[in-house]
Formats: sequence, structure tokens, C-alpha cells
Amino acid sequence: MIGSALYLARHSLVNGIRRRLKRLRQPKYMVGFAVGLLYYYWLFIRPRGQVGGGTLPRSAAEVVAILGLGALVAMGWLFGSSRSPLVFTPAETHFLFTAPLTRHQVLNFKLLRSQLALGLSSLLSVLLFSGGHFPATRILRVLGLWLVFATLQMHSGVTALVRQSLEEHGVTAVRRRLGAFVLLAGIVGAAAFALRGGGQFAGVQAAFMAGPASGFEALSTLLHRGVLGVLTWPLAALVRPALAPDLAAFAARLPAALLVVAVHYVWLVRSSVAFEEVAVESAERMARRIAAWRSGRRPPPAAGAAKRARPPLTRLAATGSPVRAIAWKNVQAEWRGSGVRLPVLIGIGVIVVAWVASLGEEAGTGLQVLAMLFLMVGAMAVVFGPYGLRNDLRSDLQLWDLLKSYPLRGADLVAGEALGPVTVLTAIAWASFLAGFFVSLGFDMPGFSVSERVAALLAAAIAAPALLCVTTLIQNAAVLFFPAWITVGPARAAGVEMIGQRLVTMVGSQVLLVVALIPALVMASVAIAIGGLAGVTGVWLAVPGAVAVAVTLAFEARLAVVWLGRVFERSDPAAEIGG
Amino acid sequence: MIEVQGLTKLYGSLVAVDDLSFSVAPGEVLGLVGPNGAGKTTTLRSLVGIIRPTRGSIRIGGHDLDTDPVEAKRHLAFMPDEPRLFEYLTVEEHLRLTARLYGIQDAEGRIPALLRELELAEKTGALPDELSRGMKQKLAIACGLLHEPTALLFDEPLTGLDPAGMRRMKQTIVERARQGAAVILSSHLLQLVEEVCTRVLVIHRGRLVAIGTIAEIVASRPDLQGRSLEEIFLALTGT
Repeated sequence: MIGSALYLARHSLVNGIRRRLKRLRQPKYMVGFAVGLLYYYWLFIRPRGQVGGGTLPRSAAEVVAILGLGALVAMGWLFGSSRSPLVFTPAETHFLFTAPLTRHQVLNFKLLRSQLALGLSSLLSVLLFSGGHFPATRILRVLGLWLVFATLQMHSGVTALVRQSLEEHGVTAVRRRLGAFVLLAGIVGAAAFALRGGGQFAGVQAAFMAGPASGFEALSTLLHRGVLGVLTWPLAALVRPALAPDLAAFAARLPAALLVVAVHYVWLVRSSVAFEEVAVESAERMARRIAAWRSGRRPPPAAGAAKRARPPLTRLAATGSPVRAIAWKNVQAEWRGSGVRLPVLIGIGVIVVAWVASLGEEAGTGLQVLAMLFLMVGAMAVVFGPYGLRNDLRSDLQLWDLLKSYPLRGADLVAGEALGPVTVLTAIAWASFLAGFFVSLGFDMPGFSVSERVAALLAAAIAAPALLCVTTLIQNAAVLFFPAWITVGPARAAGVEMIGQRLVTMVGSQVLLVVALIPALVMASVAIAIGGLAGVTGVWLAVPGAVAVAVTLAFEARLAVVWLGRVFERSDPAAEIGG
Repeated sequence: MIEVQGLTKLYGSLVAVDDLSFSVAPGEVLGLVGPNGAGKTTTLRSLVGIIRPTRGSIRIGGHDLDTDPVEAKRHLAFMPDEPRLFEYLTVEEHLRLTARLYGIQDAEGRIPALLRELELAEKTGALPDELSRGMKQKLAIACGLLHEPTALLFDEPLTGLDPAGMRRMKQTIVERARQGAAVILSSHLLQLVEEVCTRVLVIHRGRLVAIGTIAEIVASRPDLQGRSLEEIFLALTGT
């Protein structure tokens, strides 16, 4: 079995490299490859100062690692899907599941096969934080991280199998998550209750007040003692080899880590549910996706998407503007395609940060932090949102032939496609700005009156949609002009060249955005000057400035839509994607 | 009415379709047949406006696809071999979206009737991922028929359908032709072509090899007398 796994790994690797090298004959891949190599050099190899560390003690790294790993495990149980990380490719499913092999042998094969990727991930992770220096002792860290990644993979496999088992017994996702939440909350609550009596929390709080070093030392002591010590032992045992300063320490810590790995292995192979069902389901899903990509179509939805449709945000009337209908379609896709995980985590994060801030002595600190967080969410929606929300031409690229068969002008189609994410992001930005504004009414801000806050709110609300329009259109333009660079598919998505292509596209997009902003800023300066002459003062000058920015960007967006519409009409998906 | 004159499509030096001319009258079903790589899909995709021909003209319902594409496409429906659906729209929402895109004024009345006709009434709130292959195909057909097109193009319409689905599909094709639509059907299934089509267009290496009823084709090639359609096809394409 080991021989077979090694044979497959070796030949797949060699053939994969050979194919990539052959592809480099095409200039678009060669350029991407060169840029990608430079990027990797910059990221991993170039000499630079040590990252992180500072004056914090070693215990800080261990505490952070334990808490991080614990959070990952908890998240897996709370939000993970029944999709196994031990995904078998369709070919593996076909050859292995029909071969005269035991279940353990198949599982061992898969675990062995995935070690190369895990080892590479460990190496890259260590290189990333190596500061360009890679002494021999770093190998220990790579090995330690490898153990962590391998165990996490098996743990995810177990959680997927447990979920699958619960699904088979009719336990819904909501009940499953609720059960996991109650269990985790119970563990945390019991630990908190046990520690509360001894005043240990207060001790840690006081230590942090004295400084982060003493705070982490106190927290480390707390995590290794009593109930918490028992609960966190597997996590600590697993992360400690990766943090070992030398070979002796590594060797001393290794047995405990290997015990955790072994327990996970036994847990995985002894799981009561046949893993084949999960694996076959994943393989079939992957096969459908590969088939879809290769035939130039959009792949079927990812894990968890085969659920009942969420009710629509609004019902689409059967008559009316086709542009708004396409925008509506994309808004629906955002609504139905978005998971609850990120909003829930952001919400919890905001509440926790605001609550912690409110514990301070100065009144209103919590509200100030909350207002700041709302503003940050709004600003991030405007600046980064168009890169994250891709339900426009970027997602409809694989349905290009369907879009082209519609009786619509190209400009109408491009406008409708782009309006979808712009609508969603504008709603998020406006809601965040408004929430920030209302929260800000709860505390005093010397030098920034309520009237001035209204002006700032208005200016932000006016400028945001126009900026979103332009940024989203630039992203859509990239798809229209370089579809082969944007397309993500198993046959051409991976590799240094794809990283390079993405970087080139990203830099190009930023340059275009700057070019688009220059006239808007010039017009804003003029508007502010005119406003000043008309007697407008202070922050209120931002309002005419924002109006000028919005009008200029809207004009640019209009021109871009017409131009991109013509490009869309002339485009040939068969030549550009399929070719 | 579908009219094609001198249709040519080049991909660099590769000639995918070479000077193809034909027309399909209302009520006709034209079978487009040819070996793999003959240019059938390129021809169909050109007829729908998905790709732009290098040369030649295409008129759908009297509207030139190049100079008046929006009006030409209003008369068209294209049914690809694999249903193209939006993953986050329900069955009913697909039809509403189609109604908006095609500017159908009485869609509110047509949608429920079409859903009943295609046995999709129970699935109005389902996403494509919840539908079987046959159901997806039905939905794609419903979207294609909602605007009552006068020109219908089918690409391998029986792919993945069960016997009942195949029968319904054939009925749909014939029924639409009876109602006056001009239909083009591209398929490797010669039995289907023989059963449904009124005329056949044989294409090979991008060029028209033969066009007409099977009797007309045989009449022009006496050596094919008495042979099956499969044998005729193999003889015409030299495969």
C-alpha cells in the first residue's frame, strides 16, 4: 500500500510539473510564472528582520497556539460541513474502492497521499515567518507543524464522519450545531465556574495590566493547571514540538504529540460510519465540478449548497427592467450563497471587543470602540467588498453562452451584472455607517459635533456607491479582457503562474482605480473650493466634495458600462475560455 | 424562419465552419448531423449569437443577428445538451427572470400554465441543485418556451434523459414545429433525427455535405439507395 501511494504521488508530481513546464511556452503563463516567482521570493526567501516575537516570552507563543488550535477545533464542530477533508478524487474512488483492499488500507493510502501537501504547507508556513533565515533547527518546527496539520486533518475527518452519522439519523444541521454549541458552552462554563472561585481570572487580568509578558505567563500557568490543564493537554501536547527551541526539547515533547496523533488515527479508523459514503459523495461532487469546468460551464454549488432555497429578499415581478432583473438575480445569489458563519463571527467579535472595551474605567469607551468597529466594517465593505463579492460577470463567466443568448444589449447586461454586488455592498456600507453614527450619539466627541457627524455620514453615504460601482466594474473588466487569467478550474488554477497572473491582474486593477479616482478628486477639490466660497465650512465641505466624487465616478462608470458592453458583445467565449 | 448565408467561422487558421448556407422554414425540423468536430456546435452557437461568425449572415425571423441582435434573439430559444441554470434561483424565479429578460408582458398568466404543462408545479420553490437531471432539463425547456420562440435550436436534446423524458422531449420538438416554429436539432442519434426531422443537413469538416429529406439525399446519390440512415451518414462523411 505504501509503495502504491508513493508510486502515485511520484508520478503525479512528475507529470504535473512536466505539464506546467509545457504550458509555460504560452506568454500569458510565462509572465504569470515570472511574477509568481518574484512574489514567492519576496514572501519567503528575501532576507528581512525576524517577524513577531519581540519581548514576549516563549509561553506567549504556546498560549496563542493552544487557543488558536482550540478555536479551530471548536469552529470545526460548530460550523463544519459533512464534507470530509480526506477527499478522494474520482479516479481514486474508482480505482481504490473497487480494488481488493480493506477499508483501513484505503484510508491509510489517502492519509499517506496527503502527507506531501501537508509537509509542503508546513514548510511554507515556517518559511513565511522565518525572516529569510532558515537555520537547521527550523526543520524541527516544520516537523512539528506537520504533526499539527496531520492531526487537524484527521480531526476534521472524524468530525465529518460524526456529522454524516448524525445526518443519517435524521439530526438536522441546526440541531447538530446547537448540540455542539451547548456541549462547548458547557465545557467552557464548567471550566470558568471551576476557576472563578480561586480568583484566577482576576490574577490573569492583573498580570496583563502589568504587561503582556507577565500576562501571558499567568495565562500559560492557568491553562496548564487544574480543569483547564486537563482540557487543553491534547492541544498543548500537539503544539509543543513545533515550538521546541532545540533537538533535545523536541525529542522530549514528541512522544506526547505522537500519542495525540495516534489517538486521532485510531479514532478515525474506528469511526462507526463507513467513510466511503462521505468520500464518494465528495468525489462525485468533485467529478461534477471538474466536468463542468472542462466543458466550459459553471460548476455545481459547493458543499452545503444543496439546501432548500432561502426565501427571496424581494419577489421579482415578471415585468419590468431586465437590468434590474439581472441585478436582482445577483443579489439573490449573494443572499442565498452566503453562509451565516462570517456574519455571526463578525457579530460576536464586535460584541466581545465592545464589551471588553466597556470594562475600562473611562465611561463610553465601549461605545466608542463599537462606533469605530461599525465604521471599519463600512469602510472595508467599500474598499475590499468588490474583491470578495463576485456574483457578477466573474461568477457568470461559465454561463457566458447563456448570457449571450439573451435579447439584451451588452451594456444592459454588464450594468445589471455589476449592480448586484454594488447593491449588496452599498446596503452593508450604509447600514454600518448609520449604525456607527447612531452609536456615536451615545458619547461626546470634542471637536466633532453631532452636526459634523451628520455631514461625515452624508459624505460617506454619497461617495460609497459610486466608488463601489467603479471598483466592481474594474473587476468585471478584468474578466472580460483576461477570462483565462480569472477562470479558476482544476486544469489551470494552481501553480506559481496562476499566483503571478492574479498579482498582475490585481496590480492592474489598482492602477486603473487610481486613474479613475484622479478626475474625481480634481472635481471634488473644485466642489470644495466652490462650497467654501458659498460659505460652507468645516466637515460640511465634505458633502459637496462627495457629490462631485459621486457624479464624476458615476459618469466614468456609465462610459465603462457602454464600453464593456461592446466588449461583451464582441467577445467569443469559445476562443477565450475554451481556447 | 432561420436563414443562413455563407456562414464561416475561423479560429486562427482553423476553419470550424466553411461557407455554410441553408434555411429552415416555419414548421420544419432540420436535423444537423456530422461526426465529432464537424462544426455542428460552432454552427449552433453562431446561430444563437453566442459566437460571432467570421463571415456570412444569419437572419432569425427576418432580423439580422449581427445588426439587430436583440430583436433576432427575441425570436430564438437555444436548448443546450446540458441545462444552463443559475444555482441560486428557484424554478419559478428562473421563469420570472426569463420573462423580464425577454420582455414578456403576460408572463404572470403563462408561468403557472407552463409549470403545470411540464410537471414542475410541485417544484416551484426548488433550487436547481434539488432537481433531478430530467427536471433541470424541463426547467431549461420551460425557460426556452416561455417567450414562445419562432426559432428553436436543440443541441443533443436527449442527453441524460430517461425513456419518458426522451419521449416528452420529442413530443415538445414536434409540437413546437407544428405550431409554426422553425426548429434545428443537432444530434449524433440518427434514429432521433430520422424520427423527428423533416430534413437533414450533413456537415463534415465545417462544410455542408448534403441537405434535404432523406429521399432527396438518396436521389442525389444513387449508390446510397436502400441503405439505412447510419450507412448514408457514414458514406457521406467518409467515416
